[in-house]
Amino acid sequence: MSVNLLLTQIVNGLGIGMIYFMIAIGLSIIFGIMHFINIAHGAFYLVGAYLCYALVSATGNFWLALALAPLAVGVVAWLAEPGVRRLYDLPASLQILATLGLALVIQEAVILIFDPLGKNVAAPAGLRGAAFFGSFVYPKYRLFVIVFTAAVAAVLWFLLERTRYGAVLRAGTESMQTVELLGIDISRIFSLTFAVGAALTALSGVLAAPIRGVEPFMGVEALSIAFVIVVIGGIGSFTGALAGGLLIGVVQSVMTTFWAAGANIMIYVAMALIILVRPHGLLGRA
Amino acid sequence: MITRRTFLGTTLTAAIASPAVVTRGLAAEQVRLCTALSLSGPFASAGQPAEAGTRLAVSALAKDYGLDVSLTMIDDEGNPGRAIPKLIVALQQGVRFFSGAVLSNVGLPMSAEVSNGGGVYVSSVGADEITGSACRRSTFRWPVPSYGAMRQTIVPLIDKHPETKRWYTITPKYVFGEAMLREAQNIFKERNIEHVGNSYHSMTETEFSGYLTNAAAAQADVLAILNFGPQSTNTLRQAADFGLKQKMKILLAWSAGTEQYAEIGSDVLEDVYVGAQYDAAIDSPGNRRVVELFRKNLNVTPSYAMVNGYVTAMLLMEGIKAAGSTDPAQVIKALEGRKYEGPTGDEELRAFDHQCIKNYYLLRGKAPTKKKDKDDYVDIISFGKSFPDAQHSDCKMT
Repeated sequence: MSVNLLLTQIVNGLGIGMIYFMIAIGLSIIFGIMHFINIAHGAFYLVGAYLCYALVSATGNFWLALALAPLAVGVVAWLAEPGVRRLYDLPASLQILATLGLALVIQEAVILIFDPLGKNVAAPAGLRGAAFFGSFVYPKYRLFVIVFTAAVAAVLWFLLERTRYGAVLRAGTESMQTVELLGIDISRIFSLTFAVGAALTALSGVLAAPIRGVEPFMGVEALSIAFVIVVIGGIGSFTGALAGGLLIGVVQSVMTTFWAAGANIMIYVAMALIILVRPHGLLGRA
Repeated sequence: MITRRTFLGTTLTAAIASPAVVTRGLAAEQVRLCTALSLSGPFASAGQPAEAGTRLAVSALAKDYGLDVSLTMIDDEGNPGRAIPKLIVALQQGVRFFSGAVLSNVGLPMSAEVSNGGGVYVSSVGADEITGSACRRSTFRWPVPSYGAMRQTIVPLIDKHPETKRWYTITPKYVFGEAMLREAQNIFKERNIEHVGNSYHSMTETEFSGYLTNAAAAQADVLAILNFGPQSTNTLRQAADFGLKQKMKILLAWSAGTEQYAEIGSDVLEDVYVGAQYDAAIDSPGNRRVVELFRKNLNVTPSYAMVNGYVTAMLLMEGIKAAGSTDPAQVIKALEGRKYEGPTGDEELRAFDHQCIKNYYLLRGKAPTKKKDKDDYVDIISFGKSFPDAQHSDCKMT
């Protein structure tokens, strides 16, 4: 294998990793702050992608979909959070059952509203095709996704590390009771966190739509990737989700050259190894 | 000398044996058909159009055949573990005529169960085994298996572009992909083509950029995607994103037809070669009738999945009518070697392995500006029939 090919696969893996980070960060925040196992996380991704498809079909404007679809999912999640709240105190097994049911309802609703056939979502006109850098070729739209995701990550980092809301969230991952004793309205924090997590996941669905199309079962794939990244990065850790996403992306991409048939398996092997070495993830805390 | 007694005897026998009386006899007896299709789950995108085709065949043709047909639809969920118990219940309830299955992993055990239950099965699946090593007296198959699909796509593409000497393949690691890869490699050897690489991937893969990077690095002239369904759509879409259409020819050897082309989109499909079992633009009397029927009754241009459902149900009814009986043994006998005018032209259910001998098509994606209507995605480039003969077939009929 040439060095050029290896470098190409690494760069490609970083691109995939940024998309994976976007899929996982919402789950990481919700899981980390609220200790709520949300199997319906993949459904937010699904709904975001389908809203993108519907808006692009209706208006032909991808940018409108990029702005409106996450906002719509975030608002619905914010409104729905008080209803979901009663699940927080239930055992993990019941949380899984309830949210799995919700995920299936959303998936079947998508089939009823649209149909089971996959749909194509075209990338915006200026971002179609590939950019050529000598022998290195990369899709323009994926380059946009990397830059856009990096910008979203920077904003998120600022929000989580440099604002009062972020400080409350970070404190919440350590001890929610302490935060509550400090006089902070925890229910508002939960609503906002749930809405932000859902909106970010829907945003990843919108970004993924022109790359892989939309189909009713895409949420399942997103959920499994998100859980792997959250476990690898550490629950509730922003930088952990970023590191986990990039690591998984690079492992998957590079392995397609060494052992293509096992590229997917290696994602889970990497997860198992990290759990063995660092049970709380790369950047998670005990 | 003909006596009154022999005259009455002869005419009565002839009357009993005549189609009109047979048909009247059959009409009195309800014929129960059962079709297993993926109506939910990831392969519902193929199962639901096939269901529409099957129902249309029954509603439009049963009367012409003089049959009173009841149709039971089984949702196989793309899962043999779920499908086979439902099938066994249908057999226990007395159903003897079966069609369908989207996936080979459902179609193969279905073939065995129907055989054990004394029924007749006209299959829709693509695995070579159905009419090869796992062939059965009770099973017939309409689609061309992977052998013919490879022969009728790779060979004409090589002939059309003799400058393409280096081929790269992307293959799912399971029985159907392996069968296509094996045949592709045989052709590469025969035609002195350099197979510069193959990437296997799992059946759950959705990210193909790594494999496509390998294909680009191998400096292939042609990328052959030896897969079907949603994965092949994703591979093709991502290949276009990575600029592979500018660097090499792309062949999707086994396409699902119109529904898949719509999912891919004309901007991606343009100039891509695809293999297909059927296309609505086929110029044959049989196809003109089928297209008109679908347009009149369902207001759609039929896709491969729809026509597959339609033809497999039609063949069962045609066999029953030809046999003049609902006895499965008689129906099998009537279908063996049967020639008919099908949607792809003259078609024949070959006697020794029960494989339908029909055309397979090489198509090329049209530019969006050249589409005549919304379903006009491809041009037919070539077509033909390729099947292993009896000497080279793995079928040993039991």
